[in-house]
Amino acid sequence: MQRKSTPLTFGLIVIVGLLTVCPVVMLILGSFSQGLGSFGTFTLDKYIQSYTDPAFAEIIVNTIIFTLGSAVVATLLALFLAYLNTRTNIPFKFLFRIISIIPMMIPHILFAVSWLLLLNPSNGLINLFLKDVFNLSSSPFNIYTLPGMILVEGLLDLPIAYLILAPALASFDVSMEESSKVCGASNLRTLFMVTLPILRPAILASITLVIVRSLASFAVPSVIGMPGRIYVLATHIYRIIATGFATDYGMAAAVGMSALASSTILIYLYRYLTAEGDKYVTISSRGYRPAVIDLKKAKYPFFVIVAVLSFILIVLPVLVLLYTSMVPYSMVPSARAFSMMSLRNWTEVLGDPISILSVKNSMFLGIVGATLGVILSIFVCYAIVKVRTAASGILESLSFLSFSFPGIVIGVGFMWLFVRTPLYATIWALLIGYIATYLPYGIRPLTSAFVQIHAHLEESSKVCGAGTLYTLRRIIIPLLIPGIVSAWILMATMFVRELTLSVVLSRPGTEVLAVQVLRFAEDGLWGRLSALGIIMILISTTLVIIASLTGAKFTKIQTVGGDEPH
Amino acid sequence: MDIHISKLSKSYFSEGRRIEALFDVNLAIPANEIFTLLGPSGCGKTTLLRSIVGLEIPDEGEIRIGDEIVFSKDKGILVPPEKRGLSMVFQSYAIWPHMNVFDNVAYPLQTQKKPKEEIRDRVKKTLHFVQLGGFENRPATKLSGGQQQRVALARALVAEPKVILFDEPLSNLDAKLREETRKELREFLTKLRITAVYVTHDRIEALSLSDTVAVMKDGRIVEIGTPKKIYFDSDRSFVADFIGRANLVEGSISRVGINHTIVDTSLGPIVCRKKKDVSPGDAVVVCIRPEFIHVKEKAGGEGPNLFSGRIDSLIFVGDAYEGEIRVGDTELIVRVEPTLDVKQGDTVALSFDPNHCSILLK
Repeated sequence: MQRKSTPLTFGLIVIVGLLTVCPVVMLILGSFSQGLGSFGTFTLDKYIQSYTDPAFAEIIVNTIIFTLGSAVVATLLALFLAYLNTRTNIPFKFLFRIISIIPMMIPHILFAVSWLLLLNPSNGLINLFLKDVFNLSSSPFNIYTLPGMILVEGLLDLPIAYLILAPALASFDVSMEESSKVCGASNLRTLFMVTLPILRPAILASITLVIVRSLASFAVPSVIGMPGRIYVLATHIYRIIATGFATDYGMAAAVGMSALASSTILIYLYRYLTAEGDKYVTISSRGYRPAVIDLKKAKYPFFVIVAVLSFILIVLPVLVLLYTSMVPYSMVPSARAFSMMSLRNWTEVLGDPISILSVKNSMFLGIVGATLGVILSIFVCYAIVKVRTAASGILESLSFLSFSFPGIVIGVGFMWLFVRTPLYATIWALLIGYIATYLPYGIRPLTSAFVQIHAHLEESSKVCGAGTLYTLRRIIIPLLIPGIVSAWILMATMFVRELTLSVVLSRPGTEVLAVQVLRFAEDGLWGRLSALGIIMILISTTLVIIASLTGAKFTKIQTVGGDEPH
Repeated sequence: MDIHISKLSKSYFSEGRRIEALFDVNLAIPANEIFTLLGPSGCGKTTLLRSIVGLEIPDEGEIRIGDEIVFSKDKGILVPPEKRGLSMVFQSYAIWPHMNVFDNVAYPLQTQKKPKEEIRDRVKKTLHFVQLGGFENRPATKLSGGQQQRVALARALVAEPKVILFDEPLSNLDAKLREETRKELREFLTKLRITAVYVTHDRIEALSLSDTVAVMKDGRIVEIGTPKKIYFDSDRSFVADFIGRANLVEGSISRVGINHTIVDTSLGPIVCRKKKDVSPGDAVVVCIRPEFIHVKEKAGGEGPNLFSGRIDSLIFVGDAYEGEIRVGDTELIVRVEPTLDVKQGDTVALSFDPNHCSILLK
């Protein structure tokens, strides 16, 4: 077994290495080159050109404020929610689980658009409503600002921060708080003097990861930032390659290097913090139930805050899109608005050949891409978890590498690569780019599935008289299915909504949903955008439901094996 | 069914070092007995068990189960585990988490493609036997540790295997449950009259469950015997020390008598049980178990092996005191009756019966 599998590990290292390292190498080469068509002679021109641009300093400042701001907003909100959920007797705790999984359901670009439809200064619904009610001459809110971007990005990254902070709070050894109270400290004092300091590594980890995510974020900077002329690194790169007459992939690569470098450093910091976190946050083996603080009468106001947050995060974007897709132009919901409702935007979208093409392309990428991605992930996880040679460590690092790559930057790297191959401007270029960039999303759930299959479970089947195939069919595959299903769902939903890589790689003929949504946003066609957005959400949701049902059905057949007594 | 193992060796490389997991192991496991492999962790006992069941492939030697050779290096025979017709209870139980209790237990019969009615009846009977009647439709992961252990046992028993192998099956249970399950297991196995090979590092488990115990160290079998023989009359100081608390006093043979052998030690001469094949001058170790050292408040009395010493420490542990008594330069651990009126610093008299002083080879 060991000897047979070594070629497998090396083969996978080559494949995953090609997928993840190649674009980075091409990006570096590209940044020192003269042009996309031919590398030309080694030159530092692009670096000098991009980093001496007088506007560049402002972009860096914007990027720092945007990423840090989003990190603070997301982490504070997540801390508040995680504390309420794990440590208080707030009612309806199931809401918290919903908050932690919504990013799968609503694509970021649609979330950003729905906030724009609510808060833009010229015809944002909330602005129009407030102007009507209070007879204001100008709009009270303007979303096309850094605070507007930070608010929306912060809300988008809230689930990630929550997923880091909630387990840390749940595994917290309460006796440390109790001893503080015994010493005479109040609840509030204990929170600030004991609880938060002990959670510091988890809080810092959350801030770091949100910074990485918002640095890579393209939806909010493009939909909200660009109309307000607020550029961050991601949109600056986009401006260099996608607007104007002289697109310059060399400069994009040179600018991208700084985003890639900061992102990689931050991911290392994140890993260091989470490793440290294990030392700090005392995870007790005795299965403590954390002491629950009775909120008493404050219970309901707190619950209202959580309910409003869930509404804002989940229901509101969909409602706004649905409403906008039906009305001819932006207007506050009223009897008149409802009387003017029609399906005109829908028929226009369904009659638009490019929109239809983008639906087809995204569905193809979602279904075929996720399937191929999951198959690759299965082999990689098998090599990492079950074969476990020294080379497996290299494979593991390689396959998580792309986690720290900002999509648009790696897209530029892929551009330098694909332009030299027949893959350029084909759907396969997008497919390869997607799988390379989102490989960690397939590997993570499958790794835990493989880890769960203890060697004893297989051996026990053999001792019971089962051959290799029988063991595979009755034991290994059924145990892997939940992992395969979650990996497939994660990858498929990511691919259907993919934006940052696609804005670089998508060419005429290979339009995808999110890029088409962005085009509508750039043209201000909000009605059609909303209709296409709803279609996008429906496709994701359908894929999730079909995958879950197939997984459940398959597991059931295998488990019962038709032998259960009735 | 009996198991014969001859000249079995297995080594592997770990971190650049060659580790001999088994070295020239020869063993005859008699049929219908509970045979225990006992030893500290890393002694090769689990490797030996896994070689019998077929999950490890030895480098050298031969394994015969009943009349069938299942492994032979020289004859080029290797029967895969699924064809050996054995069953095994794993340390982790290896209960399949995606199946209910019925499917877990029915699995070995399903692999044999038995008719459904027969499977149902035999699973029911077996579950009843391990006192899990009515648990058929429970998800296996929703059971307690002790119940999972019994599901694993039921799965091992259901196909009525020739031999059943146990790999530290009780080590994941808490102390109290471990004690109860040990008694249950003994009962089950005695009722079945089945050949059982049991691996453990727990000496109480080995002594209380087994008909025969084989003590292993560094990939070798050190000693084989009944629990009583191993406990009272071991030949090796490693075994005597591993199997229970013991005072091991070094000395040399001074005289070989008709009924007893006398050993010169740092305590003085000790009259020991007769040992064959030793002659005056041989370096040996005298083993005296703490429970066989009698402690009295005052010196006096008659007979061999009378000493006096000072109590260095005395700890009350409920049913007795555990004490350390210094005799000359030698510290002896003793068990003192809780009713005895002594305290730390007292000088007391010690005596031990020559029949409970055994001579071990070094």
